[in-house]
Amino acid sequence: MSKLLSVGALFGAAILWSTPLLAKDMVFTSWGGTTQDAQKEAWAKPFAKQSGINVLQDGPTDYGKLKAMVESGKPAWTVVDVENDFAVKAGKDGLLEPLDFSIIDKSKLDPRFVTPYSVGSFYYSFALGYNRDQFRKKTPKSWSDLFDLSSFPGKRTLYKWSAPGVLELALLADGVAPDKLYPLDLDRAFKKLDTIKPQIIWWSGGAQSQQLLASGEAPIGMFWNGRIDAIRRSGVDVGISWDQNLTAADALVVPKGTVDKEAAMKFIAFATSAQAQADFALLTGYAPTNTGSKELLKPDVRATLPDEHTQGQINLDMAYWAEHRDEIAKRWYDWQGK
Amino acid sequence: MTSVSIVERGGGPPQRRRRSGGGFSYVLPALVLLSLVFVLPVLLLLLRSVTEPTLGLQNYAELVESATYGRVFLNTFLVSAVVTAITVVIGYPIAWLLVILPRRWADLLFGIIILSMWTNLLARTYAWMVLLQRTGVINKTLIGLGIIDEPLTLVNNLVGVTIGMTYIMLPFIILPLVTTMRGIEPDLLRAAALCGAGRLDAFRRVLLPLSLPGIAAGGLMTFVMSLGYFVTPSLLGGTSNMMAAELIAQLIQSLLNWGMGGAAAFALLVLTLALYALQLRLFRRAQAGRA
Repeated sequence: MSKLLSVGALFGAAILWSTPLLAKDMVFTSWGGTTQDAQKEAWAKPFAKQSGINVLQDGPTDYGKLKAMVESGKPAWTVVDVENDFAVKAGKDGLLEPLDFSIIDKSKLDPRFVTPYSVGSFYYSFALGYNRDQFRKKTPKSWSDLFDLSSFPGKRTLYKWSAPGVLELALLADGVAPDKLYPLDLDRAFKKLDTIKPQIIWWSGGAQSQQLLASGEAPIGMFWNGRIDAIRRSGVDVGISWDQNLTAADALVVPKGTVDKEAAMKFIAFATSAQAQADFALLTGYAPTNTGSKELLKPDVRATLPDEHTQGQINLDMAYWAEHRDEIAKRWYDWQGK
Repeated sequence: MTSVSIVERGGGPPQRRRRSGGGFSYVLPALVLLSLVFVLPVLLLLLRSVTEPTLGLQNYAELVESATYGRVFLNTFLVSAVVTAITVVIGYPIAWLLVILPRRWADLLFGIIILSMWTNLLARTYAWMVLLQRTGVINKTLIGLGIIDEPLTLVNNLVGVTIGMTYIMLPFIILPLVTTMRGIEPDLLRAAALCGAGRLDAFRRVLLPLSLPGIAAGGLMTFVMSLGYFVTPSLLGGTSNMMAAELIAQLIQSLLNWGMGGAAAFALLVLTLALYALQLRLFRRAQAGRA
């Protein structure tokens, strides 16, 4: 009996093990949570129906894992959702397959987010969010309000990691003109951040940022716009200021040496199509990277997306970050730890 | 079937372990597997730490020179030591309770402890975040009772990390302690009482020394596990008390600086092993001293 069972188990394991290797399968990897759920709904499911290629989900995205997979020569991931500065750097470092633009139509894609190795998967803004319960009389409007402890007292929450965003908003709050942001004046940025340092609670993931804002633990801070939108939809009275919102895109990339390159290109072509991008935007509040998606969305949905707030919008410079991330990180952790 | 095993167990004196080298061949497959799964990756990472970005010891030099890394390591050991000490103090009476309670109550208590261990780590950490924050239950209750006027800062700092980690580590100290304590004859404590020892004396001179191996084993496990802790310090801590695992993860996952990440990981491993060896030695000496 037990022998039979173990044979059965082995057989079962063999089937499970071999699944990703079947020709009609591919693996899409993203950050998990509501974002990946939406990607599954808007991209993977309809794509599977249309192409017959089954899309398995994996995650969260881990650059270390991606690098290890590529180095091992047989990456299990077919398409990966990454941050744009990583896409730029990884393309340079030879970790990615060049995209096939005869399959992927880039004529309709936002050129800000297209490189030979990546296309934008969706784009988001870092925007100022606040809990209205705590700021009844006067609401914060700009990044400098984030640093104004007397008008807007309380804790503020900022993104914890050394990544595009926090340093930029500190410089903007300090009066640096948007077109003079890069190269970043690190001394000035840290000096500005010093003025609110004891009041900062750092968030390391989207769910945590929502928890901090919704509970009022940190009634003001910088957030991914989609996260503020989700809190609002859950019934908490939170406000958003789009003033100088900082945009960046996630990017779809293909790890070098992936088994099924063609499926990867087809999937990316599908995921960046107008309809798929519109469907995803509807589910998440992040903006489509396909310029044809807008007309497929209702006006009230469009109003919540970053691409309706391009007035004063600032693009985070991914090429600069790809180049300087290491040295900035050193100073970042040094400063944070002090 | 049953009778055979009885005969086997009952028949003859207990067998001494054979002295031939045959035993080694039995452990060989396990050794090979362990080497492949545990030792090899560590060695590969070690290799990267001296080859990336260029051949040499520059990663280790930076590790020693940089104030940031030093602070992170010091903090890691400090937090782990504090957490270990608190878990011992809290876990000890709970373990003793598990031993002396009537079976039914002990099982219930045991169930609660095990259940907490099985609950998702992330969920438990978030739960603490909600409890400890300024607008959380604990602060609201204390303010409501008039004990404090201003909410206490219990989270996003060392206090939060310590509370969260202590809670998560408690089962790992309670379980080895219970095992050790179950081996202590209750008669010994009764005998101590009969000989005139007060409760405190009986604890200090009988129970505590006899349960020392449990404290050592559990404490060591808690300490070593704490050194590598990631999720809880990341969510409940502030940035000034970042722990080593978080830094290593950041170096490897996001910055792709595997050389530095490898060096930091290897340094942590060496320090941990050194501490382990030291404690083992002290413990042996203490045991030998008593014998």
